[in-house]
Amino acid sequence: MSMKILVPIKRVVDYNVKIRVKADNSAVELDNVKMSMNPFDEIAVEEAVRLKEAGVAVEVVVVTCGIAAAQDILRSALALGADRAILVEVDVAQSETLQPLAVAKLLKALVGQEQPGLVICGKQAIDDDANQTGQMLAALQGWPQATFASKVVIADGKATVTREVDGGLETLAVTLPAVISTDLRLNEPRYATLPNIMKAKKKPLNILTAASLGVDVAPRLITRSVNEPPKRTAGIRVGDVAQLVDKLKNEPKII
Amino acid sequence: MSILVIAEHDNATLKAGTRNTLSAALKLGITADILVAGYNCQPAARAAASLAGVNKVKVADAAHLADGFAENLASLVVSIAAGYSYILAPASTYGKNFMPRVAALLDVAQISEISAVVDANTFVRPIYAGNALATVESKDAVKVITVRTTSFDAAGDGGSAAIENVLSPADLGCTTLVERELSVSERPELGAAKIVVSGGRGLGNGENYQRVLAPLADKLGAALGASRAAVDAGFVPNDYQVGQTGKIVAPQLYIAVGISGAIQHLAGMKESKVIVAINKDADAPIFQVADYGLVGDLFELVPQLTAAL
Amino acid sequence: MTVYVAPVKDLMFVLEEVAGLDEVAALPGCEEVGIELVSAVLEEASRLAEEVIAPLNKISDQQGATCANYEVKTSPGFKDAYKQFADGGWIGLTCDPEFGGQGLPHLLSIPVGEIWNSACTAFALCPMLTSGAIEALSHHASDDLKARYLPKMISGEWTGTMNLTEPNAGSDLAAVRTRAVPANDGSNAYLISGTKIFITYGEHDYTDNIIHLVLARLPDAPAGVKGISLFVVPKFLLNSDGSAGARNDAKCVSIEHKMGIHGSPTAVMAFGEETGAVGHLVGEANRGLEYMFTMMNNARLSVGLEGVGIAERAYQQTLSYAMERIQGRVAGREGTLPIAYHPDVRRMLMSMRSQTEAMRALVLVAAASLDKAARCADAGERKRHQARIDLLIPVAKGWCSEQANEIAYTAVQVHGGMGYIEETGVAQYQRDARITTIYEGTTGIQANDLMGRKVARDGGAAANALILEMVATAVQAQGVTELTSMGDGLAGGVADLKAATDWIVENYVSNTASTLLGSVHYLKLFGTVAGAWLLVRSSIAAQARLVAGNGDAAFCRQKIGTTRFYIDQVLPLTASLLLMLKRGTSSLDAADLALS
Repeated sequence: MSMKILVPIKRVVDYNVKIRVKADNSAVELDNVKMSMNPFDEIAVEEAVRLKEAGVAVEVVVVTCGIAAAQDILRSALALGADRAILVEVDVAQSETLQPLAVAKLLKALVGQEQPGLVICGKQAIDDDANQTGQMLAALQGWPQATFASKVVIADGKATVTREVDGGLETLAVTLPAVISTDLRLNEPRYATLPNIMKAKKKPLNILTAASLGVDVAPRLITRSVNEPPKRTAGIRVGDVAQLVDKLKNEPKII
Repeated sequence: MSILVIAEHDNATLKAGTRNTLSAALKLGITADILVAGYNCQPAARAAASLAGVNKVKVADAAHLADGFAENLASLVVSIAAGYSYILAPASTYGKNFMPRVAALLDVAQISEISAVVDANTFVRPIYAGNALATVESKDAVKVITVRTTSFDAAGDGGSAAIENVLSPADLGCTTLVERELSVSERPELGAAKIVVSGGRGLGNGENYQRVLAPLADKLGAALGASRAAVDAGFVPNDYQVGQTGKIVAPQLYIAVGISGAIQHLAGMKESKVIVAINKDADAPIFQVADYGLVGDLFELVPQLTAAL
Repeated sequence: MTVYVAPVKDLMFVLEEVAGLDEVAALPGCEEVGIELVSAVLEEASRLAEEVIAPLNKISDQQGATCANYEVKTSPGFKDAYKQFADGGWIGLTCDPEFGGQGLPHLLSIPVGEIWNSACTAFALCPMLTSGAIEALSHHASDDLKARYLPKMISGEWTGTMNLTEPNAGSDLAAVRTRAVPANDGSNAYLISGTKIFITYGEHDYTDNIIHLVLARLPDAPAGVKGISLFVVPKFLLNSDGSAGARNDAKCVSIEHKMGIHGSPTAVMAFGEETGAVGHLVGEANRGLEYMFTMMNNARLSVGLEGVGIAERAYQQTLSYAMERIQGRVAGREGTLPIAYHPDVRRMLMSMRSQTEAMRALVLVAAASLDKAARCADAGERKRHQARIDLLIPVAKGWCSEQANEIAYTAVQVHGGMGYIEETGVAQYQRDARITTIYEGTTGIQANDLMGRKVARDGGAAANALILEMVATAVQAQGVTELTSMGDGLAGGVADLKAATDWIVENYVSNTASTLLGSVHYLKLFGTVAGAWLLVRSSIAAQARLVAGNGDAAFCRQKIGTTRFYIDQVLPLTASLLLMLKRGTSSLDAADLALS
């Protein structure tokens, strides 16, 4: 099979950063915050690279929709083994309101250009936690999907995907082309090697604009405010089990 | 303002989250319709009809709907969407799977995992794993919404809605089920349980996890959960995981045993009504959110607690 | 235990604004080195360090390496982490591309090295020693030896060690007694016999071969330092196809029980207890010590770097503790606040942070000089930078390691009683840092080298050239409204350094002993002023970024705050150091009286 895999990735606030809400409650503070590739997308890149290494795919193309600075995560993906990268560049204001439906439409336009046999994406981005883009792209393409994947086998024109669903696991076979979204335990992404970081510099990175793809990226949802959740405060320390049982039986009357 | 709720069920009974989703829907209107899509799903449809606040139950009963594939489900929902201003489903792996397809096919945004309804167009939803709450307003004519079920009460019984069959579009035929391995458990479902007993790496291994926690969970009729560390260490299967990347739970009582309380874990359980933490490390972050903290050796304390209850 | 987050932002800032990344990128062979590449390399190194190596630090302190039956078992997780590290190609960062390296400059390996050292110093030592052995072989070994050893050492498939010290030959290597005799078996091999001690990673379970570089005397060698040769002695002899073959007579007989760096096995090596350890001569006979000295600058800079790495990690952990721990009311503030708000704790935190940032800048500036001294196209330029690096090395090694100890001490102090308890893990930094002022030449040896060879010998020429640059920085800062007082402070410190330097040039030859009494004072004075100089340069750049409105404003303001604190609370030490230096004659006399 000479399949191409397209992997959409997103630049988000690093997993380890404790986020802060802006003082005017308009959004989460992004200025001078460490940004990284969305962790689920790293898993997607890793899976695509493994499929290429296994001879199932011939090319891995990574794409992100975002500001110029998002090139850094494309380079990271190239260092992990992707062959080529595409940035669909939007300005800062657009990037702040870029929503899954618009991204899915941008990706649909790219799928038209690139004709991949498979799209692998993260199940959700850890910033807006939307969990939509992969499914939306699949719907717009009229393709099948296999979300929340914990195992992927590609053979005979089909993807056999084990999915993490509430209460257990479910294995589906879907025809290709298809969209697969990754769950946490699909694989453990590798660390980029120094030689590959050096090579990544020389791999092609094309920059397109949303307008050139003919997609309207205007938001459908308007964020009215962003707030800190109510803080939970520490309660009391109990000295022993008896005291704990007393509290549980009497104060909240739960037991 | 008509509302459609998509039921999650196993053909025989409704999943608990359907009630919470209905209750979120009833904040948007006086009644809602429910779609029960499945195969031989009349019992589930009858259960839906008996929920309070249901106007009509629409039933799509077809072999190709048996396994709840997103492609067929989305095309069914889109086929009956005309006239509805709201389409809601639980933000479970079931709802999350097909609802974005519905939204994309209707060319509208999905409003993911709402935790509160502000007004007809405005909703609150957690972002950044619940570390911030966004209030968003939809400009679309149809609002496709998934509901964080732990944020809404369960709708009650007492309804007697009419049940109406609807035709389902043809099988798209792109997906087949190979296997389903659902954890069989006598215990309540983790996402819907009133009490959750959760274990972390402090338990040391899977054998200890079962030996120490199962009797306590049995005594309390609780579901069992785990931290990501415990899952990654192989103590328990993946679907036990509570946290940012696992299940979000909000039970009446959450007992965290040997869990240090990484921020990602807290994101999955901090909405619990009462949190009890048992940990030998007095500085463990879990104590910063616990209503009742007990510092000490869990291998001594948990059996004592089980005995004392 | 707290997480480690590599200070990539500060590293990038110093590289760009202070250490001259653009100048190094313009050197021959450094065409690949741009901001984008450096930032990508630092980010990826950070991931490996933060996620794989840093979590092993505490456990390696508690469960150090163990030795039984001539074999060493390394700390839990080290072997797997080493495999990931080697597979990542990190060992070859500066190595010759001909043998599989990446040929990148020290200005990149040094910041990456800081990250490894912060993550786990005991772990970072193995690749550091391997790099030293690779460097020695690259510069001095025959093509045949290079072809046999370098590719596998650069890939990390084999590691390297440096066998210098013997029970009676520590700081004074002239006393080396290990012997090498021709094998007389028709090959050009030698048989080595003798005992070497303090051999870092002399034995371990990472790889299927270990390549020892050993200093030994040939039978006809002249006495003293001019009679020592360098040999390569593999743990397993090489087969004709280059793979590891028969066991060589080179054994680890025990490992030391040390005060710190428990994860790093420090071996006692017995060579030739049975048949003689087979080795090959590296380069020419009797030039071994000279070869060692060609690598001395790198090795010493690496130890200074260990200090920076430990200091950074200690600071991060201490800051996080101080921001969480609540004790007592804070003077002049309402409500309950963590101890970080107590003025004395703020002083301690800033003393740690400002010195760590100064140390980092010094080490990076030295790394840039190393690259320029090696790569500048013009011979005169190379010579000028060599003089600079020769001057900076004892300061970077001596001062950074001494301050790392002070910083680790302060880290425990901020933790209070909790710091004295091993559970918090902060005592480890104090124990780990302790060795850095000792190995690769004690602080005293660095200070004597600085005062005698680097300052007095050239009549203060190299030192004065640097002092002129410092003066220019002070003048520049005085010309920026927001930084005037910082410029004044620096000018005062530089004046003390100039006075001390002039005094040494004047007195060293006529009055060597009493001058040397204050050599460590001079080294600290030098380091303190150099640190101030580089922080002020950082602040000038930060202020320019603020005015231009580009970059991270909060970071720039913090940099200026950090510099101001250092100028206020650290730099004034120079006055007393100068005073103590000048009292050498009287103090030596007092010491003679007291110790008689």
